[in-house]
Amino acid sequence: MKNNMFHILQKELREMFRDKKSLSMMLIVPLMIPLLVIGMSALFDKESNKKAEDYGKIGFCYDLSEVEENLASTMGIEVFQGTLEEIQEKYNQQELDLYITKEDTTYTFHGNAGETTSYASILATSYFNAYKEYLQNEYLTEFGIDASKVQQILTIEEDFVEQENFFANYITTYAFLFIIMAITISATYPATDATAGEKERGTLETLLTFPIKSKDIIIGKFLSVSLSSIITGLLSLGLTIVSLYFANDMFTLYEGVDLMLSPLALVFASITIIAYSFLISGLCIAIASRSKTFKEAQSALTPITFISFFPGMIAFMIHLETTTVLSLVPFLNFTLLFDDIVSGSVNYLHILLMLISTIVVITIVLFVIIRQYKSEKVLFSH
Amino acid sequence: MLSVRNLKKKFVRLDEKRRKCEFYADNGISFDAKSGEVIGILGANGAGKTTLLRMIAGILEPTEGSIQFDELRYPENEVEIKKNIAYLSGNTKIYHSLSPYELLMMCAKLYGVSKEEAIKRAKEISKVLNMDSFLYNRIENLSTGQMQRVNIARCLVHDPKYYILDEATSGLDIISSQIILEFIKKEREKGKTILYSTHYMEEAENICDRVVMIDQGIVIEEGTPKEILRRTKTSNLRDAFFTLIGGSINEK
Repeated sequence: MKNNMFHILQKELREMFRDKKSLSMMLIVPLMIPLLVIGMSALFDKESNKKAEDYGKIGFCYDLSEVEENLASTMGIEVFQGTLEEIQEKYNQQELDLYITKEDTTYTFHGNAGETTSYASILATSYFNAYKEYLQNEYLTEFGIDASKVQQILTIEEDFVEQENFFANYITTYAFLFIIMAITISATYPATDATAGEKERGTLETLLTFPIKSKDIIIGKFLSVSLSSIITGLLSLGLTIVSLYFANDMFTLYEGVDLMLSPLALVFASITIIAYSFLISGLCIAIASRSKTFKEAQSALTPITFISFFPGMIAFMIHLETTTVLSLVPFLNFTLLFDDIVSGSVNYLHILLMLISTIVVITIVLFVIIRQYKSEKVLFSH
Repeated sequence: MLSVRNLKKKFVRLDEKRRKCEFYADNGISFDAKSGEVIGILGANGAGKTTLLRMIAGILEPTEGSIQFDELRYPENEVEIKKNIAYLSGNTKIYHSLSPYELLMMCAKLYGVSKEEAIKRAKEISKVLNMDSFLYNRIENLSTGQMQRVNIARCLVHDPKYYILDEATSGLDIISSQIILEFIKKEREKGKTILYSTHYMEEAENICDRVVMIDQGIVIEEGTPKEILRRTKTSNLRDAFFTLIGGSINEK
């Protein structure tokens, strides 16, 4: 009778693998990751490789001097000149990305707040900065001042991380956040089916007539849901790596970026996935087992999908870094550690603290579920 | 022998103003059941039959009172008691994604029956209940009658001493009901103790050795069908029941 937990696990796995919905949740959700990685890479690649001719059609409602025309030409601006009415008509027909009017020494940019206008506006600003510099040089030279000396009063240098690296980081972080989301989605269906579904189908009462302790029933169910989530998580990890490998070859965006995880990083990523799968499976079972019906359980579990994703997203937005305390915060710790693993800056202590925190939470959750399974409110709520 | 003493079960429900109020589904029920006896638990819907049988089956915990199977008592010997019980009710459904054979093997494992013994019993039970033609088909594809036979089969796989059958024929057609009634008779002949709850009084009159009539959670009469008819001066258990509850059905 010591093996009852394994018999329950066996029963749950058999049911799960025979249920098309559970299987599709487990296997189809990870397939979204290559679409996400390739799709985002294509989008960002297009954005980062945008050329001036894609947004450089600018209308000038005044006559340009030769100097201005040459400057515009060197900056890739396609110049259209005409009256205000002519230029406005061209803009309305979407032949222009932006148009500029002049009154004395004030130049005004016109256009909508669309994406191409924004790009054109940046280009036009650069153009006017260059033109302003030219006029300042002329002015200083007229008064016999060496313009180059004036301009060297301040020296500004740029030491930016390559734009491509930023996009690559963005995509890899979101891909790993999506793994967390895929695991959550994968856990919700079998957890609902094994608890509220079993209650709704009337098989829970049958199960309770067997000489099994509620502890064995819960742990058996918990392990089966966890296994489903682990399969999804590891499959998602594999597909993320494969899709990043292909994206690396396909898009210039990733030039000079090493996307491949080291074997040790892969081990840590797998540990994080397994720990998260256990945590989310326990939580899903705890929530779903309080519901009377399958539908009610699904509604109750909807917020957890968002809870699993948001802490990581916010952490990414505000550039939160892993600390000893944050390693203990469930949900947040997984995404922060994923970020560390991807960037190759794993701290063993943080991994250990995440594991301890997860074990503590799982123990509490299992204790609560075992108590719930002794409660008549939970078992016979229908 | 099964001995039930002063069994009470308190529940909480909401009144019309949605305030919580306590009520007793069973309020001090006592009776004994010996080997080879079929005990009918009779009463209207909501009388407390299901709660009583769920407590005896170890699914619900009594608020008060005791249940003793031979020398074993709840909650200390829950697992040992359950090894000797088979519980079948209208609410106990079976796993549709499994085949009858897989279900029998799973149940046997959970009851601690060895694999060799389980295979032997599954084949025997299949033959007795005429399940050979659908033994390896998925339960979801079976007819209601075939499913009922599978449900009975899962109760037999560990050869229990006690059967707890709660409204087992409720909602079934005449053929499926007959399968269960035949099963009860056969098991009684083997010396098994059977608790059989129903609101079909005629059915109880035919197969029960003794009857426990319940109304509003209390025992209103107990004895053999003949004794009850004699005491109530009626010709059938239906009339006897109405006589005992004062000629009207109390809605709870």
